[in-house]
Amino acid sequence: MSETKTHKIRDIFTEGPIAPAFIAESIAKHSTRHDIGAHEIFLGQVRADSTGGKFPAPTAAIEYTAYRDMANEQMIAIREEAFARWPITCLHVHHSQGVIKAGELCFFVFASSAHRQVAREAVAFVNDEVKKRLPIFGKEILEGGEHVWKKNV
Amino acid sequence: MDVLLFGLIAEKAGTDKLSISAADTSALKQALEQRIEGLSALSYALAVDRKITNGIVELNGSEEIALLPPFAGG
Repeated sequence: MSETKTHKIRDIFTEGPIAPAFIAESIAKHSTRHDIGAHEIFLGQVRADSTGGKFPAPTAAIEYTAYRDMANEQMIAIREEAFARWPITCLHVHHSQGVIKAGELCFFVFASSAHRQVAREAVAFVNDEVKKRLPIFGKEILEGGEHVWKKNV
Repeated sequence: MDVLLFGLIAEKAGTDKLSISAADTSALKQALEQRIEGLSALSYALAVDRKITNGIVELNGSEEIALLPPFAGG
């Protein structure tokens, strides 16, 4: 799939979990790009954490909400930085909104390049910047119904 | 102006939008901390037109303001 270099606003948000079939389709779309030699993928999955202390029950799900307009604008900036730093062929980022159960996928970062090191570094960078810069909020719904607000550290 | 609220702050306020008039971000923060119980004790960022602001920024009333609790994406 060709990537425009103008970095238009695109909506990274998907309602509900990211389906493994969607990931497979995304990979398949790149078979026409014969300049690609490496794909690097990061997948975030909701973990049944226990925060301990006052709320020892494990996380049953995370309900994600976002300031979508700002998040999508921030993603354009991150995308531009990634393309400026690494010769990647393309970059795709998707994040869930809504209730995502433990074991389901909520985050998908996919970069492709001629050689593996470039795609690997770009994905690690995008992953870190998304966590730091995108206004996405997570309500951890615990087994038993209590909730706590997740924050990235 | 409309102030968009998210996550924990929307939960505390019981709404995801408040209408408040303020001449700058300092006055806005004071007004918000009076309107939303417990806000002053929380960690949050203020975004003006989808950019996080630090220090005092003058407002003309047409800006899009948002209160952002800690991020949890990724």
